[in-house]
Amino acid sequence: MATRHRFLVGGRERIVVLDEVDGVLTATIDDNAPIALAASATGVPGTVSLIIDGQPASAFVTRRAGGYEVVVGGRRFRLAPGGAAAGRRGHGGSKDREGEVTAPLAGVVVEIRVAVGDTVEAGQTLLVIEAMKMQNEIQCPLAGKITAIKCEAAGRVEQGAVIVEYEPIAE
Amino acid sequence: MFKRILLANRGEIALRVQRTCRELGIETVAVYSEPDRDALHVRLADQAVCIGPGPAVESYLVIDKIIEAAKATGAEAVHPGYGFLSENSRFADACEAAGIAFIGPSGSAMRALGDKVSARKLMEEAGVPVVPGANDIDANDVETARREAQRIGFPLLVKAAAGGGGRGIRVVEKLEDLEGAMRASGAEAATSFGDATIFLERYVTMARHVEVQIMADSFGEVRAYGERECSVQRRHQKLVEEAPSVAVTPEIRKAMCDAAVAAAKSCGYRNAGTVEFLLDANGEFYFLEVNARLQVEHPVTELVYGVDLVKQQLQVAAGEHLPAYPYPGPIEPRGWAIECRINGEDPYTFMPSLGLVEHVQAPLGPGTRFDSMLFSGLDVPVFYDSLLGKLIVWAETRDLAIRRMRRALNDLVIAGVDTNIPFHLALFDNDDWQAGAIHTGWLESAFTMPSAEDDPREQTALIAAALAASMAAPAPAAGGGRSTGSGNAWAARGRERAMQGRASGGGQGWRRGTGS
Repeated sequence: MATRHRFLVGGRERIVVLDEVDGVLTATIDDNAPIALAASATGVPGTVSLIIDGQPASAFVTRRAGGYEVVVGGRRFRLAPGGAAAGRRGHGGSKDREGEVTAPLAGVVVEIRVAVGDTVEAGQTLLVIEAMKMQNEIQCPLAGKITAIKCEAAGRVEQGAVIVEYEPIAE
Repeated sequence: MFKRILLANRGEIALRVQRTCRELGIETVAVYSEPDRDALHVRLADQAVCIGPGPAVESYLVIDKIIEAAKATGAEAVHPGYGFLSENSRFADACEAAGIAFIGPSGSAMRALGDKVSARKLMEEAGVPVVPGANDIDANDVETARREAQRIGFPLLVKAAAGGGGRGIRVVEKLEDLEGAMRASGAEAATSFGDATIFLERYVTMARHVEVQIMADSFGEVRAYGERECSVQRRHQKLVEEAPSVAVTPEIRKAMCDAAVAAAKSCGYRNAGTVEFLLDANGEFYFLEVNARLQVEHPVTELVYGVDLVKQQLQVAAGEHLPAYPYPGPIEPRGWAIECRINGEDPYTFMPSLGLVEHVQAPLGPGTRFDSMLFSGLDVPVFYDSLLGKLIVWAETRDLAIRRMRRALNDLVIAGVDTNIPFHLALFDNDDWQAGAIHTGWLESAFTMPSAEDDPREQTALIAAALAASMAAPAPAAGGGRSTGSGNAWAARGRERAMQGRASGGGQGWRRGTGS
C-alpha cells in the first residue's frame, strides 16, 4: 500500500514513503521514524492541509519542471525529481552539466563579454544578466573554449535556459 | 479638488495612490509600460495609456510621454509616487509649464535640496543641526583639508559635492590617509559628475537612521508627523521601518520635528517630504537629506497618526489649506506600527527572484495592512525593483506589534517566486531587534540568517510534495513517485477529487506571456 517518492532538495536526495496502516496515514522521511498524518488537498497547484503528529501545518504546492515547488512558512522549497529522473535538468539547484552554462535567474542580458572561439578561465565572467535593477555576472565554472552563445544582448532569458556552451579544457 | 489625476508610477505605490483617489471620487489615469498591461492599478483605472516598452528609460522615465498622456486624457494633476520621476525637477517644471499640477514640491525646492552642499548650507542657515564638516574644498587643496579635518575629528568622510548613490565617498580613519582619499574621491567625482569639489563630514558611527514626515501647504504652513525608524538596512536599502522609534524621547521628537519644519520652510517646501537624520547613541541628531516625495514607508506614519498622507498630498496640491489634525490633543503617535518590505529575492543569497506568481494569500485580521501589486497570475516584470509589497501592522505597543507582524508574516503566502519572508521571520525572532538595539550597520555586521539546511519547514514541504505526487497518480513518473502498491485511501480520494475537476495536476489555465 505504500508509495515511495524521491526528491532532490538543495542537492540532497530525500526519500518520503507514504503508507497507510490501520486507517492511519504515515510519512517516513529517509531513515527517520514514521510520522502520523492527516491530510487533505485542494489539488495541484493548491493548498495541502496537513496535521503532522497532531500539529496542523499547511503548504502550497505547485508542479514545476518535473518536480514540485512547495511554499511553507514563507519559504519556497524546490523539489526536483530524484532517483532515475534525477539526471534530467530540474529545478533543484543542481549544478550545470559540464560544457553548459545556464541562467541562474530570469532577466535581460545586458552585456556579453565573450565570443565564440574565445578561451576562458574558470570563474571568468561570460555575460551579465540584469533583473530588478541588479546586475548579475554569470561566470564560467571551468576553463574552456566557447563553442556557442545561446542568448542575445538585450534579449530576455528564462531561469535554467542554456545560455553559453563551451568545450572544457583540461588544466 | 481635482476631478482626474494621472498616476506617473507603477506597482504598489500606483495602487496605493489610486485607492485614495477612488475613495475621494477622483478619476485616475494609469500610464503603463507593455509588460505592466495587466497590472492591478491599470485594470482599476478610469483610463489607461501605454507609454512604451518595459525598460523605464523608454517608458516611466520619459517626461514628454507622460505630459502628453496627461494632456490627452484631461488629467489636471500628476502624482509621481516614489522613484522614477518623483524627484526630477525638470519633470516638476514640465508639469507646471503644461498647466498640470505636480503633486509634490516645486522644481526649485528640489534643486535647492538636491545638491548636497547647497542643502547643507541651507540647513546651517536655518539652524538645523548638520553633521560637523567643511564645505567646498578643492580636491587639490590638501592644506585647508588638513586644518578642517583636525577641527572635525576622525573618522571622517570625504564626499563629492555633486555625488550621489554612494559614489565619491571615502572613509578616512587618520590624518595620513586624508590626502589619498581626497585624490581618489576628487578623481571619481570629476569623472562621474564633472566636478572635483569635495566636502568633509564627521563619520557618525553606530547611528540610527531616523526620519521625520512633513506635510506643507502653499500658504507656508508646515506640519511634522513625527519620526520613522529605518535602521534595518542592507546595502543602503531599507527593509523594515517602524514608527515611532524606540530611541526617540518626547524631547528628541520635539526637537527633530522643529528642525524638520525649519528645513522645509528654508526652501519654501510644499507637499509631502521626509527629512532624514542620523541619530547617535547620545541622542544627538544631524540632518542627512530631504527626500522630496512620498516615501515607501509612509504607511507606518499613517497608522500611528491616523491620517491619509496621500489625501493630504492631493489637498495641498489642489491649493487647499493643510487639513486640521482630526483628533483632539497634540499631534503625537498612538500605538506602534511596523512595516516589512516583501521583496522578490532569495532570502539566503539576495539574488532577485522573478516569475509567475501562482498564488497569493494576503494576511488579514486586526491591525494588518498589505500594500501590494501582487495577484495570482502576475508575471513579475524584470525591469523594475524587487519590491512586491509591504506588510504593515499596527498594535498598541511595540511588543504587540512585533507579535502581530510575526503572525501576519506566517499568514502571508506567495507562491511562484522566492521572497524575503524567511528573513523577516528570523529578524523578528532576533533579540537585538526585539530590544530595538540597532543601528544602520547592525544588520550587515551582527545579524545572521539561520542555516538554509536543517530547516524544520523542509519536513512539511517533503510530505506535502509526496502527497501531491501520490495524488497525481496514475502518472507514476511525476515527482519521481513510484507506486509500490495499489495506492492508499488518501491517494484514491485525491484522484476522486481530481475527477471532479477540483484538482487539475496542471496549470490553472494562465500561461506565461510570450512578449518582452
